[in-house]
Amino acid sequence: MALVEQVERVGKARWWLQAFLVMVYRQTIRFLRARSRMFNALVMPLVWFTFFGLGWSSTFDRLGPIAKTLFGGLNYLEYLAPGIVLMSAFVGGFASGLTLLFDREFGYLKELLVAPASRTATILGRMLGDSLAATLQAVIMLAVLAVAVGYTNPVALSIVVLLALVTAFMASAIGTTIALMMSSPEGFHGIVNLVIMPLIFLSGIFYPIKTLQQPLAILAVLDPLTHPVQLARWAMYNVVEEPVTLAITGTLAYTILFTTTAIAKYGRTYIA
Amino acid sequence: MVDVIVAENLVKRYGDFEAVKGVSFRVRRGEVYGFLGPNGAGKTTTLGMLTTVIKPTSGDALVAGYSVSREPWKVRERIGVVFQEPTVDRELTAMENLLVHGLIHGLSRRDVERRARELLEFVGLEKFARMQVKRFSGGMVRRLEIARALINVPEVLFLDEPTTGLDPQSRAKVWDVIRALKREGVTVFLTTHYMDEAEKLCDRIAIIDRGVIVAEGSPEELKKMVGSDLVYIEFEGDPARLTARLSEYGEARLLRNNTLVLKVRDAPSLLPELLKAVEGVGVRVKSVRYSRPSLDDVFLHLTGRSLRDVEADWREALRMRIRARMR
Ligand SMILES: Nc1ncnc2c1ncn2[C@@H]1O[C@H](COP(=O)(O)OP(=O)(O)O)[C@@H](O)[C@H]1O
Ligand SMILES: [Mg+2]
Repeated sequence: MALVEQVERVGKARWWLQAFLVMVYRQTIRFLRARSRMFNALVMPLVWFTFFGLGWSSTFDRLGPIAKTLFGGLNYLEYLAPGIVLMSAFVGGFASGLTLLFDREFGYLKELLVAPASRTATILGRMLGDSLAATLQAVIMLAVLAVAVGYTNPVALSIVVLLALVTAFMASAIGTTIALMMSSPEGFHGIVNLVIMPLIFLSGIFYPIKTLQQPLAILAVLDPLTHPVQLARWAMYNVVEEPVTLAITGTLAYTILFTTTAIAKYGRTYIA
Repeated sequence: MVDVIVAENLVKRYGDFEAVKGVSFRVRRGEVYGFLGPNGAGKTTTLGMLTTVIKPTSGDALVAGYSVSREPWKVRERIGVVFQEPTVDRELTAMENLLVHGLIHGLSRRDVERRARELLEFVGLEKFARMQVKRFSGGMVRRLEIARALINVPEVLFLDEPTTGLDPQSRAKVWDVIRALKREGVTVFLTTHYMDEAEKLCDRIAIIDRGVIVAEGSPEELKKMVGSDLVYIEFEGDPARLTARLSEYGEARLLRNNTLVLKVRDAPSLLPELLKAVEGVGVRVKSVRYSRPSLDDVFLHLTGRSLRDVEADWREALRMRIRARMR
């Protein structure tokens, strides 16, 4: 056997793609092997849908048809369903930051930082892998909720799946950027509550944003999660509280912004 | 190009504290070069700068011909690194760890798979290829990391305290792997705080203390800095003539059990001559042995402290820190 031999590197473009794909593979494999993570991103949205959603929905039902006008003609569970699906994508995607912090705790991040591959390729691959995992969670959530509210339109459901992927990717970029600024996984949990909860509440998952008072109304438009949530509800029920073009632009702009930030931050990362 | 590593005045400062205070050295192709020093000496920090994961405060190093601060990508393509703390992916299997590494390092899938199989065999882990790494022992993880670092055919392999924390059998296995690397002509830069390890494995050693290289050379050269070897001659016959004869070569002293101790500069090269000299004085030599100064004696000579004591102090300090934190 020859330890020292001549080994060719593949071409630049292929190397980039290969580094990207291997990270996608690694992140999804790890997710599938850690079954507990599967539930984390499902529990919170399910709890909200069940205990918050069912509770309010029976209260709203007592008001009769007036209540429906509040929610664009939908009953409250229908109003909730699209946003809850994206909530699971968002929470699951955000956990990408946590996987990065654990890789730092367990040393694996060093192995990645000392690799000659494009850091852009490895961080994008890692974010996409985690996003696919989060999308899988969102799809499970979507299946459950579609049954619960009796929704069947396959085209709209596919659009929601796509939105879940985009939302998860955006969230993983936010989570990754924050993780790269943190020193410990413990701190990250604090940030989760500080950042995630307000973003979720202000995004119009639980209540209409168009009736909000200032300054909350402005914050709702600034909330990156608002836009995909509006798009999901629009796709499923044709109910939307901001111009669709704004929703699309907002979704893409925030995704690109956070992705660029994560790439830049990761590219500059040293161990010390 | 003969020198695989050329470090010039590397400095790393953390706040006010200078962990590495300007070290310079060269590592030749094909040699095993060791950084020997107590905990906190700056070994890991230096290795981090050489492997592009720690940014030097000042100074620079050429590794495989490229500057670690200006062309880190070129350097990363040409090195293999085993860090002090494990950096394996514990959820993946041994084989998966190697595949991911090789593909990220830009090798073709065919080459990666072939080399992964060969290297697992080389480090004696071929039977565990499909086992998740979280079920590996510490020694197995180390060997897997060495195999992984070799996948991309590095020009130099960095090993940060490769046997620290391992049991004696695992240590011996890792040593075997490093010796085999040497036979294969792989250049190795390793750090250690074990004298025996440095002495057994390294062609040349830099002794580092408090961020400064205090001496450099082969184990033999380093020991010569301390001075004398001791030659013990056990004999039968008249001690007086023997003592008189051998005093020409160095300070001779008679021990009780018919043994003479002779202090000389370089025992191995002097032994043949000594034995010849003894022939003429009418005594029968029963046994001859010599002892050399240990690297610990060298460290003591250079720093006024013993490596063993520094180690003990460090352990004690750590214990106190842990106790303080628990309170
Ligand atoms: N990130 C850091 N911040 C502050 N001090 C550090 C850091 N890393 C190492 N040090 C200090 O630098 C010195 C050298 O550390 P290190 O290179 O790890 O030593 P060794 O590997 O020889 O044990 C130690 O005193 C250590 O406490
Ligand atoms: Mg160290």
